[in-house]
Amino acid sequence: MVTVKLKPLEEIVDSLSGFEKIFIVGCQLGSARCRNGGLREAYRVAGYLELKGFKVVGVKSPGGTCVLDRLDYSARSLLNEIKETADVVLSLACGAGTQLIAENVPIPVKTGVTTLFIGAEREGRYFEEYCIACGDCVISDTGGICPVARCPKSLVNGPCGGAIAGKCEVDPNLPCIWFKIAQRMEQIGELEKLRKRVPPKDYSLSVYPRKLVLEE
Amino acid sequence: MTFREKVLKGKFVITAEVAPPRGTDWKPVVEPLKPLKGKVDAFNVTDCQRSMVRMAPLPMAKLLKDSGYDPILQLTCRDRNRIALQSELLGAYALGVENVCLMTGDFTTLGDQPDAKPVFDLDSVQLIELASQLNSGKLLNGKELKGKVNFFIGAVYNPFAGPEILQAWKLEKKIKAGARFIQTQPIYDVKLAEEVSSFIYSLGAVPIIGLLPIKSLKMANFMKKLNPTSVPDSLVKGLETAKDPASYGWEFVLNIARACLEFSGGIHFMLVGKVRELADFIDYLKKHRDYSVKF
Repeated sequence: MVTVKLKPLEEIVDSLSGFEKIFIVGCQLGSARCRNGGLREAYRVAGYLELKGFKVVGVKSPGGTCVLDRLDYSARSLLNEIKETADVVLSLACGAGTQLIAENVPIPVKTGVTTLFIGAEREGRYFEEYCIACGDCVISDTGGICPVARCPKSLVNGPCGGAIAGKCEVDPNLPCIWFKIAQRMEQIGELEKLRKRVPPKDYSLSVYPRKLVLEE
Repeated sequence: MTFREKVLKGKFVITAEVAPPRGTDWKPVVEPLKPLKGKVDAFNVTDCQRSMVRMAPLPMAKLLKDSGYDPILQLTCRDRNRIALQSELLGAYALGVENVCLMTGDFTTLGDQPDAKPVFDLDSVQLIELASQLNSGKLLNGKELKGKVNFFIGAVYNPFAGPEILQAWKLEKKIKAGARFIQTQPIYDVKLAEEVSSFIYSLGAVPIIGLLPIKSLKMANFMKKLNPTSVPDSLVKGLETAKDPASYGWEFVLNIARACLEFSGGIHFMLVGKVRELADFIDYLKKHRDYSVKF
C-alpha cells in the first residue's frame, strides 16, 4: 500500500487561511489503512477546522481517490458536489489521489498529508518501506526480499562494509537487510546464487513520470 | 619503483591515508608528509570520507603527484553516477593518476551534509568492473576510448562486517572484477591479520592490512562503537593502564605492522599523525636484517 502521514494540524490550518468553505476528501485505500488519511481522520480534521472557525461543507471518501471513475461516476459525482459547495478542497489521499482531484476541479486543492512510501503493514501499527517501484524487479533472485528498497544504498552485489553485528551503518535501529536475504536464501537452498555478480541496474526504467497502458 | 611495480613484484608496500582539506589550503596537508617521501609507497586520497565535504580527491591526488608522491585515488559511488565516475576516471588517467581504490562509500546522512541526495548508481563491484572495462579500451556502454588507460585497481574489505559468507563473496566479486590490491579496515589482531591476508591472497589479490594507531581510551571506545569486535580487550586494558596511552597505542600497531611483514603484502596507515615516528619506523624496517629483503 501507499502510506501517508497526516501533516501537523496547525500546518493544515495555515494552508487553508483565506478560504471559507472546505471540502475534505479522505481515501479508504492506503491513507485509511495507515490511519493517517481515511474517513476517520478526515472527520477528526473537520472537527478541528470547525473549532478554528472554518466551515466544513463536506467530508467524504470515494473509496479509492486515485481512480477517476470513483471520483466521478454519473450517479453521484464527488467532483460535482465539491464544485457546487466548496471554495477549497483538503485532500488526505496520497499524492496520486490528490493530484487527480486537482486536475478535475476548478478550485484550489490543498493536501493534508505527505505521501511516504510503498510499504507493508504489521499488527496494524508498523509500516515499513518494501518497494521503491524501481521498474526492474530483482526480488526473484534475492529470496523475495528487496535490497534495492531495503538497503539505503540499494546494493545488489551484497552488503557493504558498514554491516556490523547485523545492523545497518545508516541507522543502528535498522537491521542490515542482507542478513535477512542470506538467511532466506539459505532456507530455500539458493544461497549460492548470491555469489554471482549482478550487473548495474537499468535506471532508465525508473525515469518518471512513467505510464502503464493496457491493451484494448 | 612505483607502488604498482612493487605490488606486482611481490614487494612489501606501505601506504597511508591523506584527507584533502576542508577548503583550498592543500599545502598544509602535503607539507607535513615530507619525512615520508620515498618511504611510504603511495598515499590514498580519500573521497569526502564520512560524507563530509572536502576538496575533491582527484585534484588533491594530482597535487600530491606534482609534489613527488604516488597517489591512490579513492572514488566512491555516493556522489557520482556512472557518467560522472567514468569521466572522473578518464580525467584521472590523463593527469597521471593511475592507482585507484574503489568503494561504495559511506552513506550521505552520516556526514555533515545529510540533506544531500545519495547517488549509489553503481556499487563497488560494478565500479571496479567499470574501471576494468576502461582498461580494456571501452566505456561502460561499449564505445571505444580515444586514448588508452591502464588503471591499477584496488578495493577495500572489512573483516568485521557481515554476513560473513556474503562479505567473502563480495570480496571475491571485487577481485574477479579486477581489483589487484585490497586495503582492509583497521585490524588489531595478528592472527586475524594473517587469516585475512591468506584469504585475500587465495582469491588472487594482494592484501594491505589497515592500521589505525589508537591514541586514547576514548578513541578505542569510539572504534568499538563503530566495530565492536575489532578492538581486542588486551588493547583496551593496555590503554587503561598505560602511562602514555598514545605511545602504547602506537607501539601496539607497530607490533602488528612488524608481524604483517611475515605474511602480508603490505600495511596501510589510516592516520598519519606521527609522521616523524612513522618515517623512523619505516627506516627501521627497511634496515632490519629480517625485514629488509621484503622491500
